[in-house]
Amino acid sequence: MDDRGRLPSIGPLIWYRDPQAAIAWLQAAFGFELRLVVEGDDGGVIHSELTFGDGYIMVVGPPREKAVSPAAWGGRSTQSVHVQLKAGLDEHCERARAAGAHVVREPATQPYGDRVYTCTDLEDHPWSFGQTVKVMSDGEVEQATGHRVTTKETTHG
Amino acid sequence: MAERPAIVSCVFYKDPIAAMHWLEKAFGFETTTLLTDADGNVGHAEMSFLDAPVGIGGEWAGPQLGGARMAAPADLGGAGTQFLRIELPEGLDDHCTRARAAGARITAEPEDQFYGARTYRAMDPEGHIWNFSQTVRVVSGDEMEAASGLKIRTSLEEV
Repeated sequence: MDDRGRLPSIGPLIWYRDPQAAIAWLQAAFGFELRLVVEGDDGGVIHSELTFGDGYIMVVGPPREKAVSPAAWGGRSTQSVHVQLKAGLDEHCERARAAGAHVVREPATQPYGDRVYTCTDLEDHPWSFGQTVKVMSDGEVEQATGHRVTTKETTHG
Repeated sequence: MAERPAIVSCVFYKDPIAAMHWLEKAFGFETTTLLTDADGNVGHAEMSFLDAPVGIGGEWAGPQLGGARMAAPADLGGAGTQFLRIELPEGLDDHCTRARAAGARITAEPEDQFYGARTYRAMDPEGHIWNFSQTVRVVSGDEMEAASGLKIRTSLEEV
């Protein structure tokens, strides 16, 4: 375990009522790879690490103190996770659907050049998956979306 | 444009612009992208810390979300469905001091953990929980199990 690769600086910690079921489901539906689980005495998960590409998430639960599962709040969520794929977005969506994901927005190419689908998981956490199909400049994105784009580059020179 | 990292979270606020100002001051985040409509509402915003991105959004619901709703913790009895963990290369205690001075509620003071990290936890003005961590010691899986009494696995196959 000492040779575990370095994780990115920021990773989401996602609360589930049944974290063991969630860990199995996230591997089957989305293709996450499990690399560590720390279990509590009660069958709960105190810490876990699941990787996807160069990113990772932590699945924990059952919720305690300041944490809840969206399943307990009628689908309300305080954060969401976006996963960027290199290829195969439509196939990924079909795999997720077959595993029981609720697909909210079907795969569609967005004005900013990414193909995206969104879904909710077995406890109603919201996910979006994207794949860049056309690389666009900020100016092109402004024209296509009607939004004003402010970036570090435009602000500071 | 640099290749996007595989995983980016989005954090939802009642007042995303105020939250972004606060995150810059308290945690040292930098605003990298802000998409606003003609009324100045945030369409999409991205901040960066230690080269990692974080999305910032306003509360919303609608057909595009199906039955889901994106809300600040105030709408969920003060609780959150996801937290973010941030790994600092150094200076965890100083980071905590800065966050506290900016008005963060420190819900767990800086403390060394059995798994080799020093951690603190902060709540921002809208109730989101942020976990900060700095590796201070490399601990093997066996050592962790002995120190904590917990079971540590690398797959669910044996369960």
